Amino acid sequence: MSPEPLLAVSGLVKSFGGLVVLDGVNFHVMPGEILGLVGPNGSGKTTCINVITGLYKPQAGSITYRGRAVGGLPSHRLVHLGINRTFQVPKPFLPLTVRQNVEVAAAYGRPDDLAVDIDALLASVGLDGHAGKPAAALNSIQQKMLDLARALATGPRLLCVDELAAGLNPAELDGVAQKLRDLARGGMGLLVVEHLMGFIDQVTDRVIVLNAGREIFEGVLAEAVRDRQVVDVFLGTDHDD
Amino acid sequence: MLAYALLAGVIFGLYFSLVGMGLNLVFGVMRIVNLAHGDVLMLGAFAAFWLFNLLGLPPLAAAPIVFVVAVAIGWPLYFLFVPRLLRARDPEMLSIIFFFGLSQVVVALATIAFGTNERSIPGRVLGSGPVHILGQSYPAAWVVSGAVSAAAVVLVTLYLYRTRLGTTTRAVMVHREEALATGIDVHRVSAIAFGVGLGLAAVAGVFAPFMMGSVRPAMGADINITSFTVIVIGSLGNPLGTVLGGIVYGIALMVMQSYFSSWANLLPYLLLIGILLIRPTGLLGRTLRHA
Amino acid sequence: MRSALVTVAVVVAAAALLPLAYANQLLLFNFVVFLTLAQGVNIIYGFTGYLPFGYVGFFGAGAYGFSLAVMHLHLAPLPALACAAAAAVLLGLLLTPLLRLSGAYFAIANLAASQAMLQIVSNPNLTDITKGPYGVSLSGVFSPNLSYGVAVAILAATLAVMVFLRHSRFGLALQAIREDPVTAGMAGIDVVRGRTVAWLLSALVAGSIGGVFAWYVSVFYPETVFSPEFSIFAIVFALFGGIATITGPILGVLILYGIYNAIGISAPQYFQLIYGMLIMGLVLFLPNGIVSLFKRWGFDVP
Repeated sequence: MSPEPLLAVSGLVKSFGGLVVLDGVNFHVMPGEILGLVGPNGSGKTTCINVITGLYKPQAGSITYRGRAVGGLPSHRLVHLGINRTFQVPKPFLPLTVRQNVEVAAAYGRPDDLAVDIDALLASVGLDGHAGKPAAALNSIQQKMLDLARALATGPRLLCVDELAAGLNPAELDGVAQKLRDLARGGMGLLVVEHLMGFIDQVTDRVIVLNAGREIFEGVLAEAVRDRQVVDVFLGTDHDD
Repeated sequence: MLAYALLAGVIFGLYFSLVGMGLNLVFGVMRIVNLAHGDVLMLGAFAAFWLFNLLGLPPLAAAPIVFVVAVAIGWPLYFLFVPRLLRARDPEMLSIIFFFGLSQVVVALATIAFGTNERSIPGRVLGSGPVHILGQSYPAAWVVSGAVSAAAVVLVTLYLYRTRLGTTTRAVMVHREEALATGIDVHRVSAIAFGVGLGLAAVAGVFAPFMMGSVRPAMGADINITSFTVIVIGSLGNPLGTVLGGIVYGIALMVMQSYFSSWANLLPYLLLIGILLIRPTGLLGRTLRHA
Repeated sequence: MRSALVTVAVVVAAAALLPLAYANQLLLFNFVVFLTLAQGVNIIYGFTGYLPFGYVGFFGAGAYGFSLAVMHLHLAPLPALACAAAAAVLLGLLLTPLLRLSGAYFAIANLAASQAMLQIVSNPNLTDITKGPYGVSLSGVFSPNLSYGVAVAILAATLAVMVFLRHSRFGLALQAIREDPVTAGMAGIDVVRGRTVAWLLSALVAGSIGGVFAWYVSVFYPETVFSPEFSIFAIVFALFGGIATITGPILGVLILYGIYNAIGISAPQYFQLIYGMLIMGLVLFLPNGIVSLFKRWGFDVP
């Protein structure tokens, strides 16, 4: 690991009441890398993203982003530092137009004052024909794309993608995979949570397998499927996916 | 003086439990704030007043009648409005505005019908002479009102924990969607809870002339604050917590009135704000709830 | 933007000029007060979603801020108005923790706070400071024409704030916070700061007009300036017309307060009945107010 990681998570702990959801998670994301975060339901994937993006404060462990400790900072500060995400269930600003949804993120989310080409951004996620509509008029797939555009408008260096592929048809899946790979090629680091293994295989360089709040495997997906522990988790007693 | 205040606090606390119980039951089951709660209580109080003055019916006999009537009104009222409100995008906010409107209608109609005069029922109809408890003496009307409140609370507890309907009601409280999925007739359970909620408010109203001095059409707004304070202390959505809330509130009020009487009116407001800020889930609430 | 400015100009000009043609200045003054308060509610409820059931607390704080400055500091009316605004903003700062509460909790806690203010101000123990329950008399500064003019100026400033909110990035950010605070945070918006600014802005509006109210009427009781009716009316007017618009609350005040003055003063219970039913009907059938009807018919309303 000669170059410095974009994001390094170490010993991350988060619990709700008595339930420990993250139990000392460690991983890192390099610039330009797409890291997959997989695991059965309840293994802590989304919680992990929630802690990294400031929705929850970590109880122990450290989150280092570009050499700086960022654990526990509020979301908007993290956005300004270049961390953003998409939501599993996006909640766009429904009465605002599609364009305004992206505009407000471009206006408030960028550390620099670089102008964002909103039309180009909307076109890149396939929403170019919908700019003037209220977000409430979009279907759920379009709302996911709007959520992605909202995140990209802030110019992130680290993008956490939470179940973006669910519900897409094969052609749309290919488009999104291409889009994520393009972003990584531009130097962005991506952390991708996804249930669709085909999609994970298609986009990620490396995966972390989480189970019960701990990482049990780190490496490429092709090796993960041969790992005894991983197979047990996905197919064995804990099979609920 | 302290012993007197503490014991009076418990008596009033039992009554305040009843005052808050209906509001909390409705919130617990439907997650809506019935801002007309205080006005239903007011209607119960006027019903008791007229039943006594026109028919000579004593409050203890009026209470079950008023309860049944309120349940009978609450049932159709639920089906008329509540399912529609619950389907809205922001049910909690819309329902608070809607029931605020209903509250205004009830107050207006009551004012048109009864005028703005304060009414009261003489305390002796609930029993004559002071009652001695642990060396302190209290008006019989207080003690009877407190005892009836305690009985009502016990009945609610039995309903929630000893009947099939009560068990399903608690299931809806814990998770409305899951209850729906398991085939519980959520609307029937909710409509009954709504009716019972109004019924409890109306019964509390029957004893309001004795515990609050007098009744008038506009009294509902203050009752709402009191009820909300009581159930927030106990914890929203937990009807049994209301008993704790009522007694804490009753004791605090009586102690304030004994020692700092001119500031006692400030108590419900400060208590409400303070508890909401320090512990939004109430004294018995769970700390965090996450899916 | 232009239609918004035209609307604002017409309203302000009408408020400024009508006293020349119409003798009942008190009635016009009350209209100006409610036009301002309804927009103040619009700032906090329309743009951030907090329902201020105790909005009158700021109004009363302004009225008493003005009165105390005149009675104890012997200030002239205009500097005393600055004290009124400061008192309301200070109260707003004191109450910022309430913004941690959501939905009904906020509404009720805010109502409780305004009632607590009334209990404090009217407490007989504080008679030396606030005149307690006996009320305030400021006959020394009584000046209906000047105070009316200042009230119109405050209305104009409030409407200008609304035009700004409707057409600025900050207004967009506030609406984003109202829609979903989590997503707003991930759009880079400082949610806590946005809410606080809107809250203090709405406090400033109510405090200023409350101060002018004290100046205009000069004699009042604590119950007058802390009457829950101010909160209720301002909220109902804004909701009826349509929140998060400029025209909505204006229409709401003109129509409903007009009806109130036609029938409400002699028979307030009938007015209460009407607006109670209006609220229920609005929530069920027209949750975005009457302005949404115009929009449905194809008119663009600012």
